Amino acid sequence: MKKNRRFLIGAVIILAALSYMIYGGMQEAIVYFVTPSELKAKDHAPTEKFLRMGGMVVKGSMKKDLATLTYRFDLTDGGATFPVFFKGVPPDLFTEGKGAVVEGRIGADGVFKATTIMAKHAEDYSPHANGKPPANSFVPAEEARAK
Amino acid sequence: MIATLGHISILLALFAALCGIVSPILAARSAQARYLEIARYAIFAQFILVTLAAATLIYGLVATDFSIKYVAFNTTRATPVYYRITGLWGALEGSLLLWEWILIIFSGVTAWIYRERHKETLPWVIMIFSIVSAFFLVVLAFLSNPFEAISPVPADGRGLNPLLEDANMMTHPPLLYTGFVGLTVPYAFAMAALITGKLDGAWIVSTRRWTIIAWFFLTAGNLVGAWWSYHVLGWGGYWAWDPVENAAFMPWLPATAFLHSIQVQERRSMLKVWNLSLIIIAFSLTIFGTFLTRSGIISSIHAFSSGPVGGFFLVFLAVILLASFGLLAYRADMLKEQPELDSMVSRESAFLLNNIVLVSALFTIFLGTIFPLISEAVAGVQVSVGAPYFNSVTVPLFLLLVFLMGVGPMIAWRRASWDNLRRNFLWPALGSLVFGLALFVWKVKEFLPLLGFTLLAFVVLTIVYDTALALRARKRIAGEGIIRGIITLARRNQRRYGGLIVHLGVVLIILGIAGSMTYSLEKEATLALKQELQIGNYRILFEGLKGSRQPTHFRVEGAFRVFHNGNDDGILTPALKFFPTQQSPIGRAVHQSSLSEDIYLILSGFSEVDRNQATLKALVRPLVIWMWIGGFVIAFGTLICIWPMKKTEPSET
Repeated sequence: MKKNRRFLIGAVIILAALSYMIYGGMQEAIVYFVTPSELKAKDHAPTEKFLRMGGMVVKGSMKKDLATLTYRFDLTDGGATFPVFFKGVPPDLFTEGKGAVVEGRIGADGVFKATTIMAKHAEDYSPHANGKPPANSFVPAEEARAK
Repeated sequence: MIATLGHISILLALFAALCGIVSPILAARSAQARYLEIARYAIFAQFILVTLAAATLIYGLVATDFSIKYVAFNTTRATPVYYRITGLWGALEGSLLLWEWILIIFSGVTAWIYRERHKETLPWVIMIFSIVSAFFLVVLAFLSNPFEAISPVPADGRGLNPLLEDANMMTHPPLLYTGFVGLTVPYAFAMAALITGKLDGAWIVSTRRWTIIAWFFLTAGNLVGAWWSYHVLGWGGYWAWDPVENAAFMPWLPATAFLHSIQVQERRSMLKVWNLSLIIIAFSLTIFGTFLTRSGIISSIHAFSSGPVGGFFLVFLAVILLASFGLLAYRADMLKEQPELDSMVSRESAFLLNNIVLVSALFTIFLGTIFPLISEAVAGVQVSVGAPYFNSVTVPLFLLLVFLMGVGPMIAWRRASWDNLRRNFLWPALGSLVFGLALFVWKVKEFLPLLGFTLLAFVVLTIVYDTALALRARKRIAGEGIIRGIITLARRNQRRYGGLIVHLGVVLIILGIAGSMTYSLEKEATLALKQELQIGNYRILFEGLKGSRQPTHFRVEGAFRVFHNGNDDGILTPALKFFPTQQSPIGRAVHQSSLSEDIYLILSGFSEVDRNQATLKALVRPLVIWMWIGGFVIAFGTLICIWPMKKTEPSET
């Protein structure tokens, strides 16, 4: 079955190429989602991994310098807080007391060096109804309980 | 009051849908024509009832009847009428109703157009439509009722998400939904063909035009979405590989593959099972897309609140996949006989390769989209898959696709001879190599962009060269000039030349993507009055802030004078909008386009103390405008493909 064998070889080559691309792509783009508590539990050792940390910006923790566009603030999930440093322009919805998600790496000084801040919110954007956070906010459940 | 009318219409429509499902089965059992009549009336009844329900909800929105929960949540008294209407698809319940409405419009029109033809398959087509319609009606009637009452009736509504207050709200969701729902037509005909066993490919011929229309709306919906993201969301990008964007894009891939592979079946009776599978997958992905979007399973700016709807969609999806592929397996014997590929160097194999690439792209995007779900379910680890994954995986695939876009339309069917290859590809290939070399010497030193631009040039040159040869022949045969010749060619072979124009549009879109992916500049700074920011060839001078009261919000805008290569290009005013219902402002970015690049300004903050400082983010994004131009070119090409001209295309039904 010459035709079948050719078909098989073609399929194997395509699958191999595709798997290689997917594997390679995943290696550089996968982002682990962590909470401040989890990071604290790991003794905030500097890590090579690219992380995404969600939490609420602690009220009164924000120190911003508009001239250099640097921001320092703490994120909390109700249990632990973790310091974050960010240089750049944060999104409009980013402010104290609101949920935020930061992406980046932990530096040698134990501060989360964020390259991106996301302050996404749900379509259903009413202020917390019945004491519950909006359905799709990035604020973890712990925060809701802590309130 | 009107809420009751709407809800009753939905319930009656559901009853009609059930009639539409049952009567074709009864007709097949008893061979009585009156059941077929019932099936047809069932579709028209749904058409009227669902239209009535949609009209009721629109009326409620426009008249701000806050006794309806949906109205109270999605409009305010201050909302302009325009956005009250778009409130129909501003949230979950309404957008499901819109979906159902479009579905039933498609079904009604199909049933009307084919009322005299396809006597055998039409009842089954109606049944498939009715099944899908019944599913949405059950959701609308019992799980996610847009006519739910609210008490006490609030004095004012809460209003639409301010991000949705944009002119594109009128276009993006309806376009996309029309594209999604349009795929139901070829799917329904495919299923009807499987049920009746009439698998000769008549279903493909009769749905060809529908598929092209659905494909066009999918393309347009995605493009308008990209445009919206670019000019409203204020991050300077048009595509973020957000799960919901992926959900909208994924059906486009098998739909595009399908449009190409059905040509192989029409011409060579090959790929029968493949074509059926593609349309099943494309249709399933539209349902999967709604599931992703509306279940809130993956957090996203588009995702609406979660509820029981998500699980119900998943069940429906499972039913569709099982039933469709089950039917396909049941008919496997009838689909066996087909000719084999004659040669690897042929149009069939170019189209087959194009299909493999498109399906591979679909697979990788699908995997990246659902990987977070798998990871959390299997390993309990929360991860997300970032845009770099999607870019690194899809860019090579799309480059391959661009190459095939140049080869496919020009290579001979069955087996391409050396002569054919030399005649069609020698000059375009040489031309594009020279072009690539020139680009390299001039500016482009990186491999992938260089390859990309060279391949794009290759596609354009194959099309221009092929058309030029055909025009020369016209001149020789009929003495026609260029314009006259082009018109004759397009009239004689609408689908081919329409398709080539669509290809040119795709080339322009990819040009825009490649340019902006590769050569964007980005800079941010806090500027005091009369301070400047230099970016690329642009100098941006800050001239002050201004506040103004708008109907729904307070607006703070900054005035920035833009100098391009020293020339004064006028003032751009990016703004921040403060809505009373929102704690944080919504940005309104602005940009100035030219054919070579866009300058894009985002006001990201201002000092409230003395009001003379603004934080500005500026981006230079080359070639972006070609994406939108490409969209119009695609629209034009599609129009040429589907424009009814009976005498030139006798096979068209």
